Amino acid sequence: MTENQLIRQACEGDGLAVRTLYERYAPRVYAVVRRIAGEEDLAQDYAQEAWIRAIRALPTFRGDARFSTWLHRIAVNSALQALRKADTRTKREAPMPETVSVDPVEGDVLLGDLLERAMDRLPDGMRQVLILHDVEGYTHEEIGEFLGVTAGTSKSQLFKARGKMRDMLRPTQGNGADGEQGVEAWGI
Amino acid sequence: MGHLNIEGLARLVSETPSPEEKQHLDDCAACRLELRGLKEQTDAIGSLPDLRPPAGDWVALEARLVSEGLVRSSSLTLQASRWWSSGWLQAAAALILFLGGTALGSGVLASGESGDLAQLGPPQGMELIPVGSQAQPISNLADAADAVNRSERQYMDALLQYRQILDSQGDPTVIGDPTVRFAALEAIVAAGRAAVQQAPADPYLNGVLVSALAERQALLHTASLTPGDRVF
Repeated sequence: MTENQLIRQACEGDGLAVRTLYERYAPRVYAVVRRIAGEEDLAQDYAQEAWIRAIRALPTFRGDARFSTWLHRIAVNSALQALRKADTRTKREAPMPETVSVDPVEGDVLLGDLLERAMDRLPDGMRQVLILHDVEGYTHEEIGEFLGVTAGTSKSQLFKARGKMRDMLRPTQGNGADGEQGVEAWGI
Repeated sequence: MGHLNIEGLARLVSETPSPEEKQHLDDCAACRLELRGLKEQTDAIGSLPDLRPPAGDWVALEARLVSEGLVRSSSLTLQASRWWSSGWLQAAAALILFLGGTALGSGVLASGESGDLAQLGPPQGMELIPVGSQAQPISNLADAADAVNRSERQYMDALLQYRQILDSQGDPTVIGDPTVRFAALEAIVAAGRAAVQQAPADPYLNGVLVSALAERQALLHTASLTPGDRVF
């Protein structure tokens, strides 16, 4: 069955078609929503909301873009709107740690975990731009539309976010004035 | 020119340096190294994998989709996945662990040989029995749940393909005919039993058989609730 057939059946309320679309795209949707949310507790609600919106909006999907692209944009917009509505989170008010307290261990999984945790500690605006640009590949113009800021602001936030990430990921024992040792310690 | 600051270096990850910046980078090993680190960090962030939603995500979403009228609650997938994804998933994972981590999947037969395992909660009218010991060892609940999840996904794919075949055979209303449906389910159950006898530890085959039995049971139950109607 083609994706268009699945979408058509999902529009008609076919549970199996919806489930199939979900199975296909849930990890992609959950990843972007989880990273934008910055914490696990919010992510599940945000992901569910994104799927509800997408299934509701399915009849408006015209096929001009790929379905995955269309769905991804809905997920991003949904998560950003939910985050705006959410109460100020105490975590954001806390001072950002100088470093992420994880012992350096080799391996992609642990590096990934380290990066995820460091991103969670970025201020909302920086984190959103970093995720949308460096993880999801959106342009600064597109990010500006998502966030209601200029492309220049998006760029500025991105460079700050990359710098903060670099500072956080630099191990304390190698945190020299110019960061030479820190660059090598994590292999990044 | 002094060292480039961290934001300036972060900009150079994706933008071309000015002549002054380029000159400084040529002369300064520390800034070159820091820029390299920033580039590698950006590459690593760009390679982060997708994330699997937490267990139970679909069940919660499905409930909301049904409550909002966005999907039909009477579809085969919803009936089957409701017990499969929640109670059955946990029961199956627990069962796998209970069997000492040696059997992946369990045979499902209606021959009455199951004993205590039936109380783990399969649909009414079906019994679970531990069969087979040739599967990969599973030592923890998360792996067991993963195994069941994988088999469920295979089951969903198979179900979709099954319906595609039925759809391609012409009149779609035939699928809704209870007599035809019952006969088809009987055929699946018979084939499933034979397959499970041959490969008792195969989670996919077990999943197909369990689902077919559950669906047949649901159909019989529906028929028994409508005494005035001649369903068969």
